[in-house]
Amino acid sequence: MAFHSAFPSRRDVLHQSALGFGFLALTDLLRAADAPAGGKAPHFKPRAKRVIFLFMKGGPSHIDTFDPKPLLDRDDGKPFPGERPRVVFAKTGNLLKSPWKFKQHGQSGSPVSELFPHVAGCVDDICFVNSLHGTNPAHGGAALKLHTGSENFVRPSMGAWVAYGLGTANENLPAFVTVCPTLAHGGVNNWASAFLPASCQGVPLGNAGSPVEQAKVRYIENTHLTRADQKKQLALLAELNSDHLARNGPDAALEGRIDSFELAFRMQKAMPEAEDISKETDATRKLYGLDDPITAPFGRQCLLARRLAERDVRFVQVTHSDGMVQWDQHGDLRKGHAKNAREVDKPIAGLLTDLKRSGMLKDTLVLWGGEFGRTPTVEGGGNDGRDHNPEGFTVWMAGGGVKPGFRYGATDDYGWYATENKVHVHDLHATMLALLGLDHERLTFKHAGRDFRLTDVHGQVIQELFA
Amino acid sequence: MTRHPHHYLLGIALAVVASGASPTFAADPVPTPEDVRFFEMKIRPLLAEKCFKCHGAEKQRGELRLDTAEGVRKGGDSGEPLIAVDKPEKGTLLRAVRHEEGVPAMPPKAKLKDSEIADLAAWVKRGAPFPASVKVSGDTSKHWAFQPVVNSPPPTVKDGTWAKSDLDRFILAKLEAAQLKPAVPADKRTLIRRATFDLIGLPPTPEEIDAFLKDASPDAFATVVDRLLASNAYGERWGRHWLDVARYADSNGLDENTAHGNAWRYRDYVIASFNADKPYDRFLLEQIAGDLLGKDEKKASSFDPVIATGFLALGPKVLAEPDEKKMEFDIVDEQIDTLGKTVMGLTLGCARCHDHKFDPVSTADYYGLAGVFISTKTMETFKKVARWHENSLATPADLKRKADHDAEVAKLKALIKGLTAKTDEPSKVELKKLKAELAELEKKAPELPAAMGVTEGKPTDVPVLRRGNHLTPGEMVARRFPVVIAGAKQAALPNDHSGRLELAKWMTDPKHPLTARVMVNRVWRWHFGQGLVRSVDNFGLLSDKPSHPELLDSLAVEFVQSGWSLKALHRRIMLSATYQMSSTHDAKAAVADPDNRLHWRSNIRRLEAEAIRDSLLAVGGLLDRTAGGPALTHLKNRDYIFDHTSKDKTSYASHCRSVYLPVIRNNLYDVFQLFDAPDASVPNGDRPTTTVPTQSLFFLNSELVASSAGALADQVLSRSEISDDDRVRQVIAMAYGRQATTKEIERLTAAVAVFEKDFATSEADAAKRRRKAWSVVCQTVLASNEFIHIR
Repeated sequence: MAFHSAFPSRRDVLHQSALGFGFLALTDLLRAADAPAGGKAPHFKPRAKRVIFLFMKGGPSHIDTFDPKPLLDRDDGKPFPGERPRVVFAKTGNLLKSPWKFKQHGQSGSPVSELFPHVAGCVDDICFVNSLHGTNPAHGGAALKLHTGSENFVRPSMGAWVAYGLGTANENLPAFVTVCPTLAHGGVNNWASAFLPASCQGVPLGNAGSPVEQAKVRYIENTHLTRADQKKQLALLAELNSDHLARNGPDAALEGRIDSFELAFRMQKAMPEAEDISKETDATRKLYGLDDPITAPFGRQCLLARRLAERDVRFVQVTHSDGMVQWDQHGDLRKGHAKNAREVDKPIAGLLTDLKRSGMLKDTLVLWGGEFGRTPTVEGGGNDGRDHNPEGFTVWMAGGGVKPGFRYGATDDYGWYATENKVHVHDLHATMLALLGLDHERLTFKHAGRDFRLTDVHGQVIQELFA
Repeated sequence: MTRHPHHYLLGIALAVVASGASPTFAADPVPTPEDVRFFEMKIRPLLAEKCFKCHGAEKQRGELRLDTAEGVRKGGDSGEPLIAVDKPEKGTLLRAVRHEEGVPAMPPKAKLKDSEIADLAAWVKRGAPFPASVKVSGDTSKHWAFQPVVNSPPPTVKDGTWAKSDLDRFILAKLEAAQLKPAVPADKRTLIRRATFDLIGLPPTPEEIDAFLKDASPDAFATVVDRLLASNAYGERWGRHWLDVARYADSNGLDENTAHGNAWRYRDYVIASFNADKPYDRFLLEQIAGDLLGKDEKKASSFDPVIATGFLALGPKVLAEPDEKKMEFDIVDEQIDTLGKTVMGLTLGCARCHDHKFDPVSTADYYGLAGVFISTKTMETFKKVARWHENSLATPADLKRKADHDAEVAKLKALIKGLTAKTDEPSKVELKKLKAELAELEKKAPELPAAMGVTEGKPTDVPVLRRGNHLTPGEMVARRFPVVIAGAKQAALPNDHSGRLELAKWMTDPKHPLTARVMVNRVWRWHFGQGLVRSVDNFGLLSDKPSHPELLDSLAVEFVQSGWSLKALHRRIMLSATYQMSSTHDAKAAVADPDNRLHWRSNIRRLEAEAIRDSLLAVGGLLDRTAGGPALTHLKNRDYIFDHTSKDKTSYASHCRSVYLPVIRNNLYDVFQLFDAPDASVPNGDRPTTTVPTQSLFFLNSELVASSAGALADQVLSRSEISDDDRVRQVIAMAYGRQATTKEIERLTAAVAVFEKDFATSEADAAKRRRKAWSVVCQTVLASNEFIHIR
């Protein structure tokens, strides 16, 4: 095991200093923030180095945002002419046209509805996939499927797989951070490592139930000691541990734990630094909509995502969810979707613009989507709601080696089923891993007697999406 | 960041299978692991779904068979080669699936998807490797774990003085063969600390240590073991181990995370069963079929055995699954998977979709078992949001209380009804008053005691579902047990009940090759940190080979002979010289056997999550030893833990033992998550031990560690008559169970002085300053490796 050879110098330092309560030279021991950039080699040349996943909890309506359906306008109020899925979540009525107008934007002419005026300005950087489909029409199953590839077994989250496949590039921060995740519908399983090493699990900053200003890593703050005194405490601890180690002989686990206190100490400094947006310029704050109370919460999440990404966190998830299932408009579609889009539109455009101007968009894959889309038919009596639709919906990607200004796949004339160039959630996973230089069939982990993959036995890489 | 999982070499494992019973292409080289993987993932499922019906074991249309290597090589009655290895495009297989001219279009009704045809083409290009499938014949059923347990005599050993028992002879023989020596015996302090954590999950008190040190009799350690086994804390520790493999939780998890308001009854049942040393066969019988035991049999238990069937009911369920039939089969699948792993160490779940790739378990075996559970009632309704079934535990007195209450409600409702039509003012006032009374009364409705569990459903057989899909049913299978163990000739299960009782009796038959082996191996794992078979939940073909097969069998034989007594098993293990070794390092042995599979020393082990928390509270004098009772006090049964709000109001502030804290799936108590407690969704008999920096943040910055350290400081400061040196001695004795060294006394008293000085500016009150300095030093002691590791 390489572990032993990596640490004798550390042990020697400890032995030499274990002469008394001397507060040993912490500059040696707590080798500050210049820990070597590490990581594992991918399977092949990567296009992207990291992912920012903007998760719209609840199921945003594709036919009201990025997938216009003229026939739906024409046939508003008429019965859906096709066959309905065998299993639906709720009963729905006749076709319901979109309350929002679409326009083509940019050089690429990609259509975007009035709901996303700022994102519309970025379409030439965006690669839309209009033909995504999943398997489960309930929130929990669909969210788990999207995050872990499995709705009825506990499996590692895609972020954990990425962390496992690529390792960490910044040893002072976790490889996978999730900002304000929702605890409903799969909860921690949506960012957990399951059987993968614990170091791969997502570290949550707050959750959807708490304000974003309070989004912090658990136990990151010490409230009773100054940093100087904490250094002394760590030195004392190192001496106790050193004696213990000397009595026991070499032991990788004991040495690993000695090391982890040093990393914790560095993380205690690095994480609040990453979380601290006070030094961002006013222009940047405005770009993300921090000057407007409606856009400020999600804007702050997006800005945190950029700060974590530029510190080489491999996978940052940002969840848009309030105390309710945010994008779940079974009724009140007009008001609900307008409010939701208003909250995220400017911050998302701000993030894309910011990443582009700093050059980071080249190797940062931004992924936007929800657990499913919504039905073209109306739910409820108010003529103002849509049911869950896993049969066809839209996600989009930007940066990270995807084709900019591009649309792929299509749903049927009314937007219920993905029909052309269908992309399953498993295919999305395979493609995302491929962009990161990982072969989804080779990224495996042996557990309980067999090899597991994010894509289970499925998944096709959609090469057409690559720039 | 480190982790110490057990690695199995994929290549080797697959090669073993690939060289199994039926041959590969004779002229071909053995398929590579990559070939096997490709075939098993892409090709075999495809052929099975689309081709085997007409070209398989049952029918061979056109004399073609695609389910064996020979069949594929031979081709059909046209005589043309199915696979043309040199000209891949010319073979009839690819031409047929591409619907080319001159060959019959296959499959005849629906053309394969482009991606499926591409997979077949890629397979042909690889040379169409056809790895052997594992069948219930030939070598695989000869797998060691499926053979009867054999009682071998202990081996002869060279060193005639070391061994205390036959167990030791099995260990020593292997060490001697490897030219290694067992470590010297552990000193008494190390031994009592190890034994106390092992059996009750708490540190020994200084008094208990003193008593052991003073006891010079030869059975001093046996006295300690007996004392610990007799403590109720034993069941709290070992019951928790069982709860790991029973994937126990107080909430459903998955999509609709609702409260298992009555799950605690099962938890308390498990703890009581361990404390009572309930025979393990009886323990299993109750969990699988407690509801079916006759009246006389039920009397034998102080707990109603229907509570035990909570074992089958506690799994996570997709409660909002709109496809009710799928939900029903998913739940049965979870039950079979849990039962297989927990009791027999078999991954039966794989056989839901295809004959098990590695173990000799066929889909027919799987659906034979599925019939037993489809015939069992686990759910009250599958209509979303679905509700699980609960068995009533109401006594006549409970029922009377409920009836009385219902009568009162009815009376009030009648009064209200009489008044509703009236419009006069006094009636209106009276109506309002009565309505308020009714609301109050309804809030007080007595909840009838009930337990999650199963009962009998309608006995029925089920068909094999192709690829696990209930929309593609195949042949019916009679309810039965897996052939590889139960044999091909089985008595038919009765038509008037599910067959669960027969299943339980079959699994607990003393001759069952897996049940006893799996359990003694689990106990070994929980004592030593790794099993004789390291894959504790998997005894199938891909399992780890036992390091000491004869010892495993010998333990299993004695376990059954002792009346399946776990406490007897603990004694047998703990009174051995093997258990009582020290953890002294040996450079030669560390090279020869780095994983210590031969047991040349005692393993250094980190405490589990629960023991870490309990120890912190215990040394602070804060641990509340109240036992049992409901885990969720802020929620009613079936309430949402957090619906869409992401606000989990579950509190972990209680200082009770960790086993009694709520286990919330999807949002496990963060301290437990940090220290590798399982999410409780799947059986897990082998928790990993990880080291991540967030654990260190917990020790540096958490309220729990700070308050325990403060309480420890208060204890040593409260004795004004002792010196600071003595205070350090006391801290070390309580935290580490040993005497402080001179160096430690100097170091820690010096540290207190330094911190006191540092705090002078921030804390004016000298007493408070002193307490804070001692708290920081105590916290450092609690954060150290020694506190959370057993030697």
